Parts: sequence; structure tokens; C-alpha cells
Amino acid sequence: MDAFSLLMSGFETALSWDNLLFCLIGVSVGMLVGILPGLGPSAGTALLIPMTFGMDPISAIVMLAGIFYGSMYGGTITTVLVNVPGEAASVITSMDGYPMAKQGRAGVALGLSAIGSFIGGVVAIIGVTLVAPQLVQFALSFGPPEFFALIVFGMTMVVGLAGKSIIRGMIAVLIGLILAVFGMAPSSGVVRFSFGITHLIDGFNFVTIAMGLFGLSEILLGLEQQLKKPEKPPVVKGLLPNRKEWRPSGMSIGRGTFLGFFMGLIPGTSSVVPALLSYSLEKRIAKDPSRFGKGAVEGVAGPETANNAFTGGALIPLFLLGIPSSATMAVLLGAFILHGLQPGPTLFVRHPDFVWAVIASMFIGNLLLLFMNLPMAKIWAKVASVPFKLLFPIIIAISIVGTYSISNSLWDVGGLLFFGLLGYLFKKAEIPVAPIALMFILGVMMEESLLQTLTLYKGDFWLIFTRPIAGTLLGLSFIAITISIIAGIKNKKDNLEDAEV
Amino acid sequence: MLLTKVTEMWCYLLKNYGVWLGICILLFSIILFIGSLDYQLYGQYGPGPGLYPALLSGVLILISMLYIIDCLRKGNKITFSSVFPKGKVLARLSTIVASIIIFIFIAPFVGYIVSGVIVMLMLLLPDFKWYTSIGVSFTVTMILFVVFDTILGIPLPANIWGW
Repeated sequence: MDAFSLLMSGFETALSWDNLLFCLIGVSVGMLVGILPGLGPSAGTALLIPMTFGMDPISAIVMLAGIFYGSMYGGTITTVLVNVPGEAASVITSMDGYPMAKQGRAGVALGLSAIGSFIGGVVAIIGVTLVAPQLVQFALSFGPPEFFALIVFGMTMVVGLAGKSIIRGMIAVLIGLILAVFGMAPSSGVVRFSFGITHLIDGFNFVTIAMGLFGLSEILLGLEQQLKKPEKPPVVKGLLPNRKEWRPSGMSIGRGTFLGFFMGLIPGTSSVVPALLSYSLEKRIAKDPSRFGKGAVEGVAGPETANNAFTGGALIPLFLLGIPSSATMAVLLGAFILHGLQPGPTLFVRHPDFVWAVIASMFIGNLLLLFMNLPMAKIWAKVASVPFKLLFPIIIAISIVGTYSISNSLWDVGGLLFFGLLGYLFKKAEIPVAPIALMFILGVMMEESLLQTLTLYKGDFWLIFTRPIAGTLLGLSFIAITISIIAGIKNKKDNLEDAEV
Repeated sequence: MLLTKVTEMWCYLLKNYGVWLGICILLFSIILFIGSLDYQLYGQYGPGPGLYPALLSGVLILISMLYIIDCLRKGNKITFSSVFPKGKVLARLSTIVASIIIFIFIAPFVGYIVSGVIVMLMLLLPDFKWYTSIGVSFTVTMILFVVFDTILGIPLPANIWGW
């Protein structure tokens, strides 16, 4: 069957009443997650994984994916209206979205974001439909050395983009990989580092780690900032830009779509990166860059589109290689594994019904979100004013029940607390936590592929460079890390010079 | 003179949060490195179960040392007082931690509903009136109980009466 017929059969599955309902639940919860402070898309998705345990894998992933892209839409609403970004990628939107709201143009900012997000999301999914089947054969030729090199490449991207310094990024990456070695070793079956604790025989649970690092730690940090009364949202009216703004907005949406989609293909990037790149691109090519930061429509349309197109593009490395592009994708990957689906090139061959139903549900979900955003913007704006002091106890209660239900054990609730505190302490030291979750999920695959490569080459690791794809990827990783180190040193030098001045 | 210098340096170290965190990471990686040597590193048929953790923890030892050095540099110092909250906010953070610990200890005896309501009450009472707190706690706990236990069939901690 060709891609089009498979997509049509995917639509048939996605349009069944139950899947449609789960898609609606997913995007609505995603909107709430995006709007409400204290929960990001990663935590929101992780929080609902336990609820999907009894569900059919297609319905479960349709719902969880809905939360992911729904939160991208939702994050914009609080950003524009009250300057409180519900998720990280929306920070860029706040630079021009909030000034627009201050000028009484909140409706236009929200309308543009919804339209941009819809176009970005849908075009990216069309891209996935066209590109993914062509890449399956290529991905099927990947052996252990290629997978190992690809994970290393993703790792270097994570480290390079991790934040304040490479050292901090490396610490997060290594801790994520180390957490994955607890429990049974992949090839030999030897139980490692259980310290006589029965619960550690199976290692740490991904959902516990994700809920602790992204959920509980965010609440602990949020409590320090958000106990103050929320700002009253402005009135939302007139959702469309004026005639003069149509052309620049359209062009920004077009550029944001392609940028976001292609950034999604690179493992290790997060949705913040395409949003930021799109903003700088728009500013750079604008005739009057001084408008940016004061309510420029391109500053909202471009990043918002890139942000959602990234979500679609990121499905390709996830579906084809089992490599998540971001922390939320890692949570989705965790859900795949929990539901007995192993992402990778064989997923397209063995479970085409699943892959195409999820892709089709994303078309539907994006359409639902467009309808939920444009006419209902005022209602969502009211939701944004729910006080954090009421929200956080509810989120904690859900987190406790959610983690308990993973294996009906209070050990996991203890794990939630441990990883929540770990995330809090790390964030205080500006060590990013997203790479921990991302590398934890890739840890087992990385060990397996490394050991298989070493066995294949009888212990001579350097022979990996005789494989063109693996060698190129490792070479690129080396270049990426070298550039990051040089940039880091240069930044420090600049900072010192600034300080001296 | 030397004593003053040493005391000054010690005070600088004591207050530096980054250094302490780096030391904890270093100790963790050393323990894992030593632990991984208990497993076979390389056998007759190829790499053993100890090789990969030994490699990772070995690299983490180096990186955590670099991190400690980085934190000792003047511009990178993070003091405990500059990053951790005090007073009311610290009390609220401690309440969150305490509520989860209390849940872990009492849930097997009193069941989910009672322990769930206690957790919510601990978190809501400082901000809301007692009747609002009780109402919200009970409602949220019951909704979660019905969703997880009744609808999804996931058994939650139960007391002798089964709830």
C-alpha cells in the first residue's frame, strides 16, 4: 500500500468515536497543561501515562500526543495575556505577544498564533507523511554502530544546547545515562547496583523520573514565584490582523513552518530552539527591526509556527529511529515502550496501523485546536486566572496517585519525591534536567549498541569509522562539541570583558 | 595570616552551593565506579556488564571535578542564601515534602482516601479557609479514587475496609 492509502486507513481508525474522544480529551488536557502554570508538556504527558494503562495502544498514544501539541497551543494564551509562559517555547512569543496585548491587540496575537500553529502543525504532518515512508528503507539499513553514533550525535546536541555551560549539560547527560544502568544489564542479564533492594532489580521507572523532574520540581520552583496574585487578563477581541499585516504574517508563518520542521529532524533539540531561531530570523530580515519587542506580528507568527512545526518534524526521528528529539518526545517514547511498541524502523513495517492512525489523529487534533482556540480564546483566558495556590495541591495529588499506579507501589511515590528534589536542587545550580530524562530513555539503547559494536569489531572501537554513516555522525558530533566548547570559552571571555568595562 | 586565609577559604567553600553539589555528584560517581568494578569488564566473548557503567562513572568523575573547579571561580559562585528560599516559602516547600512522606507512611494503614485528604489538607489549609480546604480535599480525592480505582481498575492503597 502507498503512503496515501495508509494515511486514509489511519484516518479511518483515528475517526472512530473512541479515538476521536481520546484525541479531544488529549488536546483539551494539553491546552490546560499549556495554560496553567506549574506543569510543562513533559510533566503533563507523563502525568497522564498511568491513566492509559488499560487503554488500547492507539487510543493511548493519540491522547498523549494530543497533550503534547495541545500544550504548545495553550502555552501561548497565558504568554500573550498575562506574560506568564505556560511552557518554555512560549517565552519567545512573550517578547512581542505581551506588548501586543498591552496595546489592546491580544486577540490578534492569539489569532495569529492559532493560525500559525495550525499551518505549521499540519504542513509538518504532511511532511512526515511524505518523507517518513521514503526514509524507512534507509533507517532499516542502520546497524548497532549507526544507532550508537546517532545517539552520540543527539547527546552532543543536547549538551551544546543545554544552557549555561557544557559542563552542566554533560553532568545532566551522564546522570541520565547512569540512571539507566540500574537493574538488569541488556546483554548478560546481570542485575547491577540493586544494593539488595528488590524494587531496583527492574531499575528506575521512567514515568517516576519524568514526573519528579518535570512535575514536582517545577511545583517546588513555581511556589517560590507564583504565590502572588495572578494578573487580570485583558479583553480579547478581533482575532485577525489588519490587511497590511497579512503578507508579513504569512511569510513568517511560511518560514517558521520549514524551520520548525527541519529542526524537528535533529535529535537533541527542543522546541525552544526553532522558536528562538525563527524570532532571530524574522528580526534579521525585517525592514525595521526596532519594531521587535514592541508588538511586531512577525515576532509572534514565526516562533509560534516554528514551535508547532517542530512537533510534527520530531515525529520522524521518533517513529523511524526511536530517538526522541526533546524531553516530551522522550516521555512519548516511554509511553510507546509501556504499551509494548518498540519505536524504530520496524515500527512502520510491523505496526503501520498504529503509526498512520497517530499521524492522522494529529491532523484532526490540530483542526480541533484551531476551533478550540479561535472562538474560545476568552474562555481559555479565564482558565489562565486560576490561582496557583489552588492548582499545585491538585497537581501533587494527581502525581502521587499517578506514580503509585505505575506498579501499585509506594516505592514509586518515594521515587517521585526523590527525583522532584533532585530536579529542584539541579535547577538551583542551573544544571538542566531535560537531558536527564532524554538520556535515561536512550541509555539502554546506547549500551546495547555500544556493546554490539564492540563485539562486532572484536573490541576495536575505532573500526566504527569505517562505516560511512556512523563515521560521519561521530565526526559531526566531534565538530558540534568543539564548537560548543569554543563558544563557551568565548562567552566567558566576553562576560569577563563586560565585567571589566 | 595563614590561618585567616584558610578560614576565609573554608567559609567560601561552606557557603558555595555549587561546590557541595559537585562533591555529592563526585561521591556518587566514585561509588558507582568502584561498584562497576565488581562486574566483569571484558570477557571471553566481548564486553561485560561492568564496562559501560565503569566508562560512564569514570567520565562523570572527571566532569564533576571540572564542575567543582568551575564553581570555585569567582563569577560562578552560587551561595546557599542566594538560591534557597527562607521564611514562609521555605515552610511551604517543607510542607510539600512532608505531605508526600506522610502519605508514604500512612497510606498502607489508613487507605488512599484518608491519606489523600490529609495530603491535600496540609497543602490547602495555609491558603484557604478550613471548610473550603476540606471541601476541595475531599472532592479531588474522591474524583481521583473513582477515576483510578473504579473506572481504570488500578487498586489504590486500602485500609481494612477496602478504601
